[in-house]
Amino acid sequence: MSEAATAHDAHAHHVELGFWRTYVFSTDHKMIGRQFLFLGLFMLIIGGLLAMMMRWQLAWPETEIPLMSWVPEPYMYGGILPPQTYNAFFTMHATIMIFFVVMPIMVGCFGNFLIPLMIGTRDMAFPKLNLLSFWVGAVSGVVMLSSFFVPGGPAASGWTAYAPLSAQAAFTGVEWGQHLWIISLIILGISSLMGSINYITTIVNMRAPGMTYFRMPLTIWSLFITAILLLLALPVLTTALAMLLFDRMFGTSFFLSQGGGEPLLWQHLFWFFGHPEVYVLVLPAMGVTSDILSTFSRKPIFGYHAMAFSMISIAFLSFTVWGHHMFISGMNPLLGTAFMMSTMVIAIPSAIKTFNWLGTLWGGSIRFTSPMLFALGFVSNFLIGGLSGIFMASTPVDIFIHDTYYIVAHFHYVVAGIIFALFAAVYYWFPKMFGRMMNEPLGKIHFVLTYIFFNCAFFPMHFLGVGGHMRRIYNPMQYEFLQPLQGINVFITVSAFLLGLSQIPFLVNFIGSLFAKKRAEKNPWQANTLEWTAASPPPHGNFDAVPVVYRGAYEYSSPEVKEDWLPQDRQLATTSTAARLH
Amino acid sequence: MMSWLPENVSTFGGEIDYLFYVIYYITGAAFILVTVLMILFLILYRQREGRRATYTHGSTALEITWTVIPAIVFVGLSFASVSSWGKIKSHPPPPDVQLQVTAKQFNWEILYPGPDGKFGTEDDLQAENDIYVPVNKVVHVILKSKDVIHSFFLPHLRVKQDSVPGRDILVWFQAVKPGKYELPCAELCGFGHSGMRGWLHVHTPEEYAKWVEESWPRK
Amino acid sequence: MVREAVARRLIEPEVAEELRTPALGGGEEPPTGVTSTQPAVSNARLALLMFLAAEVMFFAGLIGAFIVFRLASPAWPPPFQPRLPVGVTAINTVILLLSGLTMRLALMAARRGKPTRLVQWLSITALLGTVFLGIQGYEWLRLIGFGLTLSSGVYGATFYTLIGCHAVHVFGAAVWLIAVLLQARRGRFSERSYAGVQLCAMYWTFVVGLWPVLYGLVYLS
Repeated sequence: MSEAATAHDAHAHHVELGFWRTYVFSTDHKMIGRQFLFLGLFMLIIGGLLAMMMRWQLAWPETEIPLMSWVPEPYMYGGILPPQTYNAFFTMHATIMIFFVVMPIMVGCFGNFLIPLMIGTRDMAFPKLNLLSFWVGAVSGVVMLSSFFVPGGPAASGWTAYAPLSAQAAFTGVEWGQHLWIISLIILGISSLMGSINYITTIVNMRAPGMTYFRMPLTIWSLFITAILLLLALPVLTTALAMLLFDRMFGTSFFLSQGGGEPLLWQHLFWFFGHPEVYVLVLPAMGVTSDILSTFSRKPIFGYHAMAFSMISIAFLSFTVWGHHMFISGMNPLLGTAFMMSTMVIAIPSAIKTFNWLGTLWGGSIRFTSPMLFALGFVSNFLIGGLSGIFMASTPVDIFIHDTYYIVAHFHYVVAGIIFALFAAVYYWFPKMFGRMMNEPLGKIHFVLTYIFFNCAFFPMHFLGVGGHMRRIYNPMQYEFLQPLQGINVFITVSAFLLGLSQIPFLVNFIGSLFAKKRAEKNPWQANTLEWTAASPPPHGNFDAVPVVYRGAYEYSSPEVKEDWLPQDRQLATTSTAARLH
Repeated sequence: MMSWLPENVSTFGGEIDYLFYVIYYITGAAFILVTVLMILFLILYRQREGRRATYTHGSTALEITWTVIPAIVFVGLSFASVSSWGKIKSHPPPPDVQLQVTAKQFNWEILYPGPDGKFGTEDDLQAENDIYVPVNKVVHVILKSKDVIHSFFLPHLRVKQDSVPGRDILVWFQAVKPGKYELPCAELCGFGHSGMRGWLHVHTPEEYAKWVEESWPRK
Repeated sequence: MVREAVARRLIEPEVAEELRTPALGGGEEPPTGVTSTQPAVSNARLALLMFLAAEVMFFAGLIGAFIVFRLASPAWPPPFQPRLPVGVTAINTVILLLSGLTMRLALMAARRGKPTRLVQWLSITALLGTVFLGIQGYEWLRLIGFGLTLSSGVYGATFYTLIGCHAVHVFGAAVWLIAVLLQARRGRFSERSYAGVQLCAMYWTFVVGLWPVLYGLVYLS
């Protein structure tokens, strides 16, 4: 069947299904993926703007933020941010970025879009559950955003919501904002549960013939492990959130010491979820990066099995390291030692991955396309974020840098660094998602600006942290020992604004490319994985015929063929490659 | 980066700084190694006409090397950290001076036991935000909280400990240089978190004797 | 071509059932060393297993919290708090365990294609489940009468959340069971197609199997 005919077919189906069932209540995994993408990008703008306002306050404390004088009291006073609103903003910034940007895009969008296409099946195992998962997630987003408009404002106890601060309205002065925060995350937990059950079932049961586990692209491996982590970690957060809500609404005292409760229990439960959650965020980024590096180096991924096994070991170990967030919480020091050991162990698989990425570049024939540049940017940021993590793994050093900007720098290099993998993935799969190519020069400009200003914004935070600058403080000028560091804060703020402005080329490129005339080819990057054998964009049902897989995903520059790529579904006269590989 | 560290004025602060340096040099070396190799590879192996990428799936020897070396480094770092950690958190030396600090939104309440050295007696002295201690003496602080979690942070002494409602947590330090050092709260504790701070006044023996004299005048 | 025909049939929008079946190779034999894609565990069973794994983690969180409080208190139950009805609940435990047994019998009846037996055993299971919930509810009312509430310290709070969460699960399972029972009465199941009974039985077994753990922890410890 020709491409035109396929496109026509897909078009015909859209007409049949009507607007609502095609674009809104679609059960097509690709449409749900796109919906998650738009949800995530919308939330990214909100989360980014919150960060900008906080940065203004930190650089020029208690001065009027430009264009914000319209915000009514008591949220702002003539454009000046009061401490209460500042606390609410950093709480919502983190909550939105983690739960409503990175998770919907990396897990929701690319998980949905790529899993059926890359394993060679026609849709998810449970398309209706998939539809429900998105809309439950969207409701959760609406509940979270609605907390901006209730009296008292949104939650202001940090995204970690440490009890007892979060457990009684009197401590923060936030009543419904915190309730809604809890309720929203419980709803999101349900959405993620549906999603992860769907991902696992699909990957286990619906792989195309010949797609063994160890022929799956690493993107799929990463999403598979992510789904397992979500499945096992999120229920524990739900438990904790339910207990917190009971403390706030029904007078229980799980986390309140005066009723016999235990404040540290919240931290244990939260971080038992929270640390696997970090890997939920970063594993898909690692998977995507591996695939993109291999494609544009025209070289098999270095140490495929090591990459897969290191992700599996990260998944196991991530349930054993939660206490490293609590070294100075008052937890038994012996536990601190144990958690330091497990944390040092979990650093090993991350090191393996980084070296294997280097190995992939070695001897390659590297094409510097936009997705490749962003993938390299992710590796470079993850390197810094991973290395800075070793400081805080050492318990004595953590005494000093805990709760300082050193931590802020570290987790932005890891978690905000994911945005590079996110952009890499968007540039890479945009042709498959929307059937158009993105503009390359604009993409490169976007990369250069983002890379420079990202590092200018986040690297100096290490210096602040080493100087002892606490995180979550409203006005650093209140402290004598921080006043000499204020110049760094100004520099960071200016860089953060420029980082924000650097996203304009992306927005222009993204929206402009959606309406570009020229259609993308089936396989514009000459990649091996199955999604590139489908039309761009693939019709409902994805493939003309379900592909049969003969080899792994990384047979670039194989000596068996003249071209430098060898798709997974191409049958060679001799299948010796497949035999040799497995 | 090290020049940003606040001046260290405590006995164990040097150990923390030393570990910081060790990790700094190790991670710095790793960072330079990986970055230089990456840039080198990007230049050497950029796409060129007529050259085909090397077809290889990896090298077991190399992979074992870069698994084992980080593993050894990490284990080494763990052992290097254990003794300092135990010293700071588990085995405090016997106290010369004792006091209670109770954190509340948004102040530090200081309770001195007075000349009898016991809390809960008549000669206790309560103050807000200002701690007076003698130099070169082991100070034990019993850390409490009235409402939410706060964190007792003395950047110049490399001391940080969360105060948890319902718990009495022992913090100790020994300042080696007289002076006035800031005591911020390092854990978000509400809208007044920023600006919740006190002062640690480390006195010379003479100054300290004078302060004791003024605080508990002999009848 | 056959492949195209298969593809065309499969991309019809209304064939969600078709989309759920694993992809077929379409004529060509996969090369040697390639596994068959016939799943060992059906999608629905696998999904339910995953869901149960999540449920286990949810209860693990609650049980972990309970153990923390239990170990931290010098006396349990704390002074001036009512004791839990250990004896009555022991009988109730037996009732729930019996319902687990009758559910297995119902499943066996389904497997052997005996619709009347199936309906009978399902009805008995539903009845036992309802009795369990009834006794639990009655005991709760009595405890509230004795002054044990959510806000009476962690003793009351952990009791009501742990046991309450389990009760909600039993209730949900009972609703599902009754739905399956109604389907069974309409003769929806046969020897070859009884997945609905199987899934419901899995869930029921989980809810029943969880109870002795909670009983031992909350009532006996």
